[in-house]
Amino acid sequence: MTCDPVTLEIIRGAARAAQAEMEALLERTAMSAFIREKKDFYTAIFDADGAMAVGSDLPIFGDIVGPVARHFPLETMRPGDLYWYNDCYGSRGAVSHSNDQVFLAPVFLKEARVGFVMGWAHFSDIGGLRPGSLSPDASDHFQEGIIIPPVRLQRGGETNTDLLRAFWRNSRFPNQSQGDTRALMAAVRLGEKRVEEIAGRFGAAVLADAFAQLLARTEATVRAKLCAAFPVGTTRFNDAIDSDGHGNGPFVLRLALTRTPDDRFILDATATDDQAPGPVNLLMHPDVPGMALGLYFLQGEPGQVLNAGGPRAIDEVKLREGSLLWPRSPAPLGLRGLTMMRLLAALHGLVAVARGGEAPAAHSAYVILAMRGEHKGKRFLMTDGVGVGYGARPFADGTDAVYFVAQENYPAEFMELGYPVRIREYAMHLDSGGAGQFRGGCGVVREYEVLAESAVMAVRIDSVVNPPWGVAGGMNGGSGRCVLNPGTPGERLLPPLSDGTALKRGDVVRLQTGGGGGWGHPFDRAPELVLADVQGGFTSPEAAARDYGVMIRDGAVDATATAALRSARPAAGLFHRREYADHVA
Amino acid sequence: MSREQRAEEGREQRAEEGREQRAEEGREHRAEAGRDLLVAVDIGGTFTDITLQSAATGAAWTAKTPSTPHDPSEAFITGVSLALAQAGCSAADVGRVLHGTTVATNLILEGKTAPTALLTTQGFRHVLEIGRADLPRRDNLWSWVKPKRPVPPGLVFEVGGRIGADGTELAPLDEAAVRAAAEAAVAAGAKAIAICFLHSFTNPAHERRALELVRQAAPGLAATASCDVLPVVREYERSMATVLNAAVMPAVTTYVQRLEQRLAAAGIAAPLLLMKSNGGVAGAASIRQAPAQTALSGPAAGVVGALAMAREAGVADIITVDIGGTSADICCIAGGQVGLTQTGRVGPWPLPLPMLDMVTIGAGGGSIARIVGGALTVGPQSAGAAPGPACYGRGGTEPTVTDAHLVLGHLTPSLLGGRMTLDAALAAEAVQRIAGPLGLSLEAAARGILAIADNNMVGAIRVVSVERGHDPRGFALVPFGGAGPLHGCALAGLLGMTRVLVPPSPGVLCAQGLLAADLKAEFSRTIALPLGQAEPARLAASFEALVAEASAWFEAEAVRPQDRRTQRVALMRYEEQGHELAVPFSADLDALATAFAAAHEALYGFTLTGIGMEIVTLRLEATGLLPAPAMPRPGEGSAASAMLGTQPMLLPEGEVQAPIYQRALLGAGERVAGPAILVQLDATTLVQPGWSAEVLASGAVLLTRDGA
Repeated sequence: MTCDPVTLEIIRGAARAAQAEMEALLERTAMSAFIREKKDFYTAIFDADGAMAVGSDLPIFGDIVGPVARHFPLETMRPGDLYWYNDCYGSRGAVSHSNDQVFLAPVFLKEARVGFVMGWAHFSDIGGLRPGSLSPDASDHFQEGIIIPPVRLQRGGETNTDLLRAFWRNSRFPNQSQGDTRALMAAVRLGEKRVEEIAGRFGAAVLADAFAQLLARTEATVRAKLCAAFPVGTTRFNDAIDSDGHGNGPFVLRLALTRTPDDRFILDATATDDQAPGPVNLLMHPDVPGMALGLYFLQGEPGQVLNAGGPRAIDEVKLREGSLLWPRSPAPLGLRGLTMMRLLAALHGLVAVARGGEAPAAHSAYVILAMRGEHKGKRFLMTDGVGVGYGARPFADGTDAVYFVAQENYPAEFMELGYPVRIREYAMHLDSGGAGQFRGGCGVVREYEVLAESAVMAVRIDSVVNPPWGVAGGMNGGSGRCVLNPGTPGERLLPPLSDGTALKRGDVVRLQTGGGGGWGHPFDRAPELVLADVQGGFTSPEAAARDYGVMIRDGAVDATATAALRSARPAAGLFHRREYADHVA
Repeated sequence: MSREQRAEEGREQRAEEGREQRAEEGREHRAEAGRDLLVAVDIGGTFTDITLQSAATGAAWTAKTPSTPHDPSEAFITGVSLALAQAGCSAADVGRVLHGTTVATNLILEGKTAPTALLTTQGFRHVLEIGRADLPRRDNLWSWVKPKRPVPPGLVFEVGGRIGADGTELAPLDEAAVRAAAEAAVAAGAKAIAICFLHSFTNPAHERRALELVRQAAPGLAATASCDVLPVVREYERSMATVLNAAVMPAVTTYVQRLEQRLAAAGIAAPLLLMKSNGGVAGAASIRQAPAQTALSGPAAGVVGALAMAREAGVADIITVDIGGTSADICCIAGGQVGLTQTGRVGPWPLPLPMLDMVTIGAGGGSIARIVGGALTVGPQSAGAAPGPACYGRGGTEPTVTDAHLVLGHLTPSLLGGRMTLDAALAAEAVQRIAGPLGLSLEAAARGILAIADNNMVGAIRVVSVERGHDPRGFALVPFGGAGPLHGCALAGLLGMTRVLVPPSPGVLCAQGLLAADLKAEFSRTIALPLGQAEPARLAASFEALVAEASAWFEAEAVRPQDRRTQRVALMRYEEQGHELAVPFSADLDALATAFAAAHEALYGFTLTGIGMEIVTLRLEATGLLPAPAMPRPGEGSAASAMLGTQPMLLPEGEVQAPIYQRALLGAGERVAGPAILVQLDATTLVQPGWSAEVLASGAVLLTRDGA
C-alpha cells in the first residue's frame, strides 16, 4: 500500500507534533537542571524494523533499536513494553557516554508492530568516580557511572520497579534520578500513544510506506548533495584534539572520503590516532558520519527530516578498532563531546577541500565547568554547560555564544539561587571570533565567585593548542582558558582539561570559551561592520586594525588610515590555524 | 467646481441632515438609557471595524471604514462618528470605548521599535546578545542566523551595584554611572531607556533609584524598570520584556494620546479601555506604563468574544480556532476559565508577561501550497492581503487554502455580501500547478491542501488541549475569523469532537470580545519556598501586600467596590522542577498539596512520592467587572425561506448539489443537514455531510456530528 504525497506530509506533520508533545512533557516534568533548564534531551520515531524515520536535528545518533533487538527479538515484543539502556560498548556507540539514557517503546496497532518511539535524556548523576559521573580524571569506563545493558523496564505495562530502585540507589542525587526517569517514561508513553493514533488513522501499511518514503527522500537528498559537493576520487582532511587530560595528545582525526566512479561513498577514518588513556574516546557508531553530513546537507530543506536516510547515503564507513573513534573496552568515554565536535568540524573540512572553501569554518567544542562540594550541610553538583563560538559561513557570521543544538544556558539568577556561587561577569569573549569577511562567532566569559566553604572543580576546554580553523581566507577563532583568581598574587592558569582543582570560599574562577573560525578574507569585511563589532564588544580596536585593516578613531572609521592599511593585503590560503595553509593537522 | 465635486457635496449635505435627524432620536434614547453605549474599535490592515452596542437593549450597529495606516486614529474616529450617526446617537451617549491594538505587536515583529538603551548590571553587557545560548530545536545548527536584537550592544550600559540572590545589597548602586549612562543614551539618540538589574524581582531598590535618576537625567524619555514590568526570575527573559516594553512605549504613548485627543475633540468623554494579552482590558494610563501587555491584544479579544458567545449558548468547555489570512490562533477554555501562561513569545523573543495560553501557527486562508523537495507543504508563507489567494484575481498565482476551498465548492463565488467575487478558473489554474507535478487530480490536490492545513492545526489544538491535560473530545470547537467556519467540521472530525459552535458573527468576534471584556490585572510575588517551610501567616502577609497593590489598581481604574473580584493562585512545582503549575490557593497547606498533586497527575500522568513541593510564586488575579451587554437574538425565518439556491460541491463520494442558506434569515431552532453552505457577510460556514446545523436561541449555530 503506497502513501500518497498528501498523506505523507500529514504523517510527517503528525510525527513532528508527537515529538513536540513528548519534548514539552519532558521539559515540564523533569527534575534535573540538565534536562529542564539545559534541555539535554531528544526524541525520535522509528519504523517497524527500527530504522529512525523522524529524528531530532542532532547528528550524534547511531542505531538505537538494534542493541535492544539483539537481546529481545522484535517478534517477542508486546504492547506495553518499555526498553532501556545506556550501555556504550554494548550498543556499539548507539549511545556514546553513560549519562545518556535511552528509553524505547515498541508501538502496536492491533497486535502488529508498526514502529518505535524513543526518549533520550542526559541524567546528571549515575554514580561513578565523581559527582556528575563525567570526569577528565576517568581512566576506565567503569568509573563513569552504572552501566545498564538493554533491559526490559516494563512488560505489558508492568514496571520492574526493582530495576529502577537499583538504578536510583547508584545516584548521588536519587530524587533527581527518580524524577527524570518518571518524566522520560511518561514522554515515551505519550509518543507511543500518538504513533498508535497515526497508525490507526492511516493503517499500518500506509504508515510503513510513509516511513520508507521519508527515509528514501532523505537518502536521495543527501546523496545528491554529496555528489554535487565531492568529485570522484578521495578527499582528505585531518584535524586534532589537544589532549586527553592525562598528559597525552594531540590526537589526530584523519578522514578520507572517496567517491567511486559509480557514485558510492566510502568514509575511511582508519588512519586516526590510537585510542587515548583519558576519557576523550569517541565510540562512534558507523551511522554518525552520515547523520552529521545529513544535517549539514539538509540545510534549506524544510520539507525533509533528519533520519537514518542520512547514514544510508554513505555506503561504507571504515573504522579501526583501537583508534580514538573505535576504542576497546574499557577505555573511558565520558568527554567524547570534545572529539565529536572536532569530528563535525572535520567533516565540514572535507566539504571545504572539495568545494574550494564553500563550507562553514570550524567551531569550538562546548565547554563544561563542574563544581561539587557541600554547602550548608547539603551536597551540591553544579554542571555548567557554557556556550562557544561557531564557525562563520559563506553567507553569514558564525553564531556567538551557542552550546549545541537546542541546549540552553543556566541564567545567572538561576545559578545564584540554586548553587553557592555568584556570577560576576557573563559577556562576550573579546576577539575570540575568527576574523573574516564573515566573522566567526565569539565565545563567552563567565566569572564565578565561590560561596561554598570548599568545592572541587573540573573543567573541559579543547581547541587551545589547535584553535578552530578559518576557511577561504578567514582566520582561526580564539582559544578558551580558565584562570583561578585572576589579577591576584595567587593567579593560576588551569590545565584546560582537568579535574580535582580545590576551591575555597572567595575564590574567583574566570572561564573564557573559544570562538569559531572566520570565513573569507578579513579585508573584505565592510568597515562599518567592523566598527559595529568594536562598539558592540566583539572585536577590539587593535584587532580591527591588525586583522581587518580597519582603523577606528573616536568611535568612527578613519577612512584614510583604513585605505592605507588595506592596501597591504596579506595573501590568504584555504585554511588558517595560526597561519594560512592548505591543511591544518 | 466640477460636477463630481458638486455631487460629492450634495451627498455630504444629505448625510449631514440624516445624521442630525437620527441624533434627535438618539437623545430620546439616551433619556431612557443614560450613557449606556459601548463602542468597540478593531483596526485591521485593510478596514477599521466599529461595533456600537446598547448595554441595556443589546441593539448593535456596525460600521466599516478604510484603515489609515499613516495615522490609525484617523480611521478610528471617522469610524466611531460614522457608527454613532448610523445608530442615531450622540457622543454624549457613549459610556465606554474599547479597543484592541496591534501597534505594539507590529512594531516588535517588524523591528520598528524606538531606539532604546538598556541599563544592566556590571558584567552583563551582553545579556541580550547571549540570551539562552541556544538555537531553536527545529532549526538547523549550520544555517541558523541569530536574529538581530531590539537593542544593539552599543546601547547597553553597565552600572555598578549588586543585589544578591537573597535580596541583600552586596554593592551600592553607582549613581554616577546611571546618570552617565542616561546622558550617553540620549547622546546616542535613544528615545527610551530600559532598566533591568540582577535579582530586582527580590529587591527592586536599585532599579527604583535608577529609574528616578534616569528620569532626572533624561526627562521626556520613555523609561521603564523590570520590577514594574515583570518581577520574575531569569535575567535574559526579564531584560527582553523590559526592553520591548520601553521600545514600544513612545509609539504606544503617542498613539493612545492621539486617540484620547480625537475622542475628546469628538465630544466623547467616556474612558478609553485597551485590551491586554491576558484577556482583560485596562485604562489608557496603565497601558502607557506597560504597553508590552498589549502584545497579544488582538487574538485575546477574539478568545474573550468566543468565551462570551459560548457562555450565552450554555457551553463551558471550548477550543477556539481563529483562522485569519496568514495564521491561526488556538486556545483551550475548560470550565469557562481561560488559562494564563508566562512562557509566551512575540516573534523570536520571549515575552513572559501573563497572556492567554494560546498557540499560533502559520496556517490561514492565504497559506500557500508549494512542493518543497518533492513534498507538498502548506504555509507558513502566505499570500496575505496582497496579492491574496489566486481566486481574488489580484495577481496571485500560487495556490492557497482559499483557492482549494473554491475548487471543491465550499465557497460561493461571491463574498462580503456581493462586494467581492472569486474567480474559480484562477483558483483551478493555481491548484493545477501543484496537482500536475504530484500526479494528482485537481480535486485530490485541493483536498490535499486542506488536509495538510487541517493537520497542522490539529497538531496545535493537541498542544493546547491534551498537553494541558484536557481531552478535546469533550469540548466544543469554536471556529471563527473569516476562514474559521470553513474548517470547523473537518478539524472536529480529526480530533474526535462531535460539536462545533459557530458564533453569530464569526468574522467580527474580536469586537464582541472587547464589548464583553472585564478589567483585569495580575499581581505576583516570587517567594520560592518549600511547602514544608511555608507558614500560613507569612503567606497571608504576602497576599495582603498583593491585595494592597490590587486595591490601588482598582482605585486607579475607578472600579466600584461591588464590582471587584480577586482570586488567589499559587504557582507550585516539585522541588527542583523547572516549571510551575497554577493551583487555586488554599490556606490549608495539606489541601494545597493535594490540589497540586491532582493537577500534576491530570496534566502529566504521574505524581512523585517522597519529593517535596515548592511554592514559587503567589499571584493575585484581580478583575473589575464591567456590565456585559445583552446579546442580539436571531430572527424567526424558516430554512426554506433562507435558502438561496444550490451549487456543486465535490465530495470524496462524488459531486453533489449543496444548498446555500442565508444565515441571517435562519431563525432559532431551524435545522439544516449537511452538505450545506451557510453564507453571511463576514464568514462562510461549511456543513459537511454527516453533520447537522441547528440555530440556537443565542444566535450561534451548533453543528453536531450525526449519530454522536
